[in-house]
Amino acid sequence: MRIKRFLVLSSLIILVLTLSLAFTKGALGHYPLPLSGVRLLASWYLFTTLNPQYPVFTAMSPEAVTAIVWDYRGLDTLFETAVFFLAIIGALALMRGISLKTALNNSSNKVSDGGLSLICKTAARLLTPLIIAVSASIALHGHLTPGGGFQGGSAAAVAPLLVLVIFSVYFLLSKGVSEKPMLVLRTVGLVGIYLTALATVLIGLFTGLNAYVFQNQPKPDAPAGLPAQISGALISGSLFFFNVFEYLAVAGGFTLVFILLSIPEEVVKSFMGGETHE
Amino acid sequence: MIELDTLTYLFMALAGVVSLIATYLAILENDLIRAVVFSALQSTVYAILFYLLMAPDIALVYIPVAVGLYPAVVLFLIKKTERSEGDLGGAGGGSE
Repeated sequence: MRIKRFLVLSSLIILVLTLSLAFTKGALGHYPLPLSGVRLLASWYLFTTLNPQYPVFTAMSPEAVTAIVWDYRGLDTLFETAVFFLAIIGALALMRGISLKTALNNSSNKVSDGGLSLICKTAARLLTPLIIAVSASIALHGHLTPGGGFQGGSAAAVAPLLVLVIFSVYFLLSKGVSEKPMLVLRTVGLVGIYLTALATVLIGLFTGLNAYVFQNQPKPDAPAGLPAQISGALISGSLFFFNVFEYLAVAGGFTLVFILLSIPEEVVKSFMGGETHE
Repeated sequence: MIELDTLTYLFMALAGVVSLIATYLAILENDLIRAVVFSALQSTVYAILFYLLMAPDIALVYIPVAVGLYPAVVLFLIKKTERSEGDLGGAGGGSE
């Protein structure tokens, strides 16, 4: 125990000293805070992100981070999303065939029983709609203000989590938030992301114009593109749709994992008949 | 009069020290639930640091993930195993 304590403490101290040395010697520039003058790459992104005079480069979004995430570096984000959903598919594969539906039917009294105190339940009843509203605004304004699909989706997943902890998983299931609808939500999100990535190609296919996969704004050599605004409201072409579908997919995926994790051990074991566990 | 930059640096240094202490306590804590609470404290301080470093996008994703979702996943997993670690402490790491 004493050796462990010494090892942990000394490694933390070495980490702090090394980082301090690196910072004072200017490893991140001379200040860790962003400077008043921006670096060249950043200034190029900031210059082109909402600049209709440069149709080759612009993403028509004032939010440079979302523009980079879903337009300039869109393919990276697509594969990040794929990694996240592979993890969820792994969880689904581990829990295949195990469902709380039968357990719910066997004991109908479980829905109202249990959970935390009345104070917690009342607070949760007030907070849940607020969390959903805030998360939707984070996602739907993702191309205008800081935020986006993943941020909004993970904030939205906190709402079912609160209900799950404060009431019970049976209460959540009785409200219709169960594995199937969440799986559908997740799939709708993924298919939406896929279709948005291919939208310009499909438009090009029907109109005979040149188009690229993952294209956002019309380019000089590829005039098929998504509109930057609809009746005066800036939607930044594909960014708005990517954010909306990512929001659905992430919220559904996280909720699905929480429902699977909250299945009691006895229910899991009752489904694993035939195998012996010591 | 302290300048705003200096104040920001001081606050960041304070937040860094708090996160370091929380990390140390989280590693050494044998009660896993208390370790998760320390870990969440460290994450909260990190969210403040991201905000001070002018990365609101990261702060927005860090608050729900690090304060809500990640401790919840770990707490669900702790519920499925035992609450404290290393009770047995035998040389062979005694098996049950």
